[in-house]
Amino acid sequence: MKIALLGNPGSGKSLIFNQLTGLGIEVNRYPGSSVCLECGNVCYKKEKIEIVDLPGIYSLDGNSEEELLVRKFLEQGGAEVIVAVLDATKLERNLYLFTQVTEFSPRVIAVVNMIDEAERQGLIIDVDKLSTLLGVPVLLTAASEGRDIDRILPLALGSGRVSTLQVPYDHHIEAALKSLEKTLGAPRSRSLLALQGTGDDRILLDAAGAVAHEIELRHRMSVRQIIATNRHNLSRKIAASSVRQGDRKKTYDLDSLLTRVYPGVPILIAILFFLLLSVFVIGSWMQELIVQTFTTYIILPFTALELPPLVERIGFSVLIALEAGLGIAFPFIFTFYIGLSLLEDTGYMTRAAFLADRAMHRLGLHGEAIIPMVIGFGCTVPAVMSLRILKTRREQTIAAFLISMVPCSARTVVIAGIVAAFVGIFWAFSIYVIVFILIILTAVMLSRITPGEQFGMIVEMSALRRPQVRLVLAKSWLRIKEFLFIAMPLLIITSIGLGLLQYFGVTDAFEQLVAPITVTLLGLPEYASTALLFGIFRKELAFETLAVLAGTADLGSVMTAAQLYTFAIVSILFVPCISTIAVLYRQLGARVAILISVYSVFLGLTVGAIINMLVK
Amino acid sequence: MQPSLREDYLEAIQQFSKKNTHLPRYEELAATLGKSEALVRSDMEDLVSSGDVSLLPGGVIALTGQGRQCGESVIKKHETLQCFLSEILGMDKSVASDEACTLEHAVSDETIDRLGMLMVKQEGLGHHRWGRQEKQLSSLQCTTDDENCECPSISDCEEGENVIIHCIHGRACAKRLLDLGMVPGQRVSIKRKLSNGALVVQVKGCDVALSPEIASAIGVEHPS
Repeated sequence: MKIALLGNPGSGKSLIFNQLTGLGIEVNRYPGSSVCLECGNVCYKKEKIEIVDLPGIYSLDGNSEEELLVRKFLEQGGAEVIVAVLDATKLERNLYLFTQVTEFSPRVIAVVNMIDEAERQGLIIDVDKLSTLLGVPVLLTAASEGRDIDRILPLALGSGRVSTLQVPYDHHIEAALKSLEKTLGAPRSRSLLALQGTGDDRILLDAAGAVAHEIELRHRMSVRQIIATNRHNLSRKIAASSVRQGDRKKTYDLDSLLTRVYPGVPILIAILFFLLLSVFVIGSWMQELIVQTFTTYIILPFTALELPPLVERIGFSVLIALEAGLGIAFPFIFTFYIGLSLLEDTGYMTRAAFLADRAMHRLGLHGEAIIPMVIGFGCTVPAVMSLRILKTRREQTIAAFLISMVPCSARTVVIAGIVAAFVGIFWAFSIYVIVFILIILTAVMLSRITPGEQFGMIVEMSALRRPQVRLVLAKSWLRIKEFLFIAMPLLIITSIGLGLLQYFGVTDAFEQLVAPITVTLLGLPEYASTALLFGIFRKELAFETLAVLAGTADLGSVMTAAQLYTFAIVSILFVPCISTIAVLYRQLGARVAILISVYSVFLGLTVGAIINMLVK
Repeated sequence: MQPSLREDYLEAIQQFSKKNTHLPRYEELAATLGKSEALVRSDMEDLVSSGDVSLLPGGVIALTGQGRQCGESVIKKHETLQCFLSEILGMDKSVASDEACTLEHAVSDETIDRLGMLMVKQEGLGHHRWGRQEKQLSSLQCTTDDENCECPSISDCEEGENVIIHCIHGRACAKRLLDLGMVPGQRVSIKRKLSNGALVVQVKGCDVALSPEIASAIGVEHPS
């Protein structure tokens, strides 16, 4: 048996899913898309039941990846029963999606969630009435309190049924649906989509297009608008007769602070600053702990084994990669994810997007782009993956360039380890300033030359609520797992590759080859090029390799302050790490990935050369 | 009476009453058509007997339901043909208008429909070119992409105001707005407005943030 949770974003779907499945969650990529499907198994009455958490969507008509995925899932009858999760506080708007779901005639139950919040707002929902109107069983739940969640499975398996609800469309639309069914045998759901120009059946699309045009002429309204209006009207009717507004408790509206320019913007800056600062402090403490333990208990005993040199080299590379992965993934990225999930679950991120819209606009982007940018401070890989939320390719491309320049936590380690430690804290900040100026210049340039049209921001503000520790941790864990799956294998493979190169003396040849650039252009010692090369596969490895090659951890004794500064800034700007390139390639294609890599090499070398010239 | 003459009259009367706030009188109709008043008078009697026109006191001419339908159809034919001749075939505008005047009487409804569809397809090909041609076509299509819509945009409203959505311009962004319940006729209230025109509006109990360029595409009217 398979059941699927379907609903609007923010309807509490994930919380229900988490409570139903516990921690046994797998994340599956749907074939041919980058959208994640979360699946989990539970045992109910000695039967294995698979639960799928479909991505949150507002509609089934659109062409976004999420909508396409859910539509395909429904068309193929991907689950025996659909659990439609509705937000009790926004029932009318949530029913709009429900009316569309019924058109695919799956077996459904309706779960009206967040009933606790609705009670606080004084909304009284008549379950029997709603159930009669929708034609399916209805259950009231409060996932945040765990109320009645255990009744979902029995109800879904026992009495999920095909809804009798049918949207009364405008008579012209109904006539068109009938004629399409008669002439082409197309089912109602497909014809409705075809009338709105969606689908891949050319014959049906052409026929529907001609009818749609006539309807538009008659109504002075697009078919989409007519259909949407019909559905909204039905939802309003249902909501009006099943929801009553009782006494409303007065609550303080935090938005009066959060969405105004003042004090909203200072709060936004303070929150982001605090997030990054705490990630940095906690991260560096944990990293030291992990790296030390790993070195003492695993790497040192391994080198003491005195294996044959080639085997030792390979084994050492694997261990170094593991150490690097664990040393960066858990301390920095995991802490960052916890902070980020916390911000998301409170509903603050949408406020941030609203306030940042204006500033982002200057960069050729929109408010929503602040989310990938903030994630970029933690790690570039998930930031690139989150680019999906931007609607046009133009925005995705611009944002990808900028994200790959944002100093991620690994690059922060370079700045702190080299510049702050040996040159001075003020100079460390100056690197941030230089990077931000470059980001802004790049954005201004890109927003002029990148083809494609600008698209505005339409974001539903999620309700402010108290985050749940369990859910925050579960979410962060899922994200870090995804990161480990992408980054870890790459780290190990590149580490072995580089280890072999070093073993066969290729790196020495490389140093000789690029010596003119390293020594003449950047004014760095020859071995710095190998360190930069290592930095490609994990940024802060540039710093560690440099220490190894220089033969001392006290870099200040072998390189001048200017050299260290130049090295740091070049390694920060120079080529995003290998995992980033891989995920850029997957998300945006080879062209953008190559362009970004080439651009960053050019930028790194230019800025390095300029600094070298200035200090001479 | 010649069918083409009848159609010309009905078209002219319909045009006149669309352009002006009042119905035409004999002398006004005669002036627009460039005919003598006496001739118009006698022709009107023919039209009354065919059931297209009814005469009101004071020499005012009004169309009956049948007459209006016929007039409307001729106007649509004229516009479609003129648009086709001038924009697709590239003929001079006034020549196209004259030609359309002759063709409109002979052409069938189906031909006009197909011509209209053909032009919509052409428009689909040149989608990114927001030219004069497209504007003209979309007003001809009578969809809500009516750029000449004179209602104020939601970005002109103040914080705390309650308004009703009247129309949404442009197609690209319309889909998500529709899904969130921003359909014509929907009441919304403006919860926050920043100085750059970005808005938070409340619709169906949900707060939705809109950037300035989206907000300016939403036309609203004040509830009466």
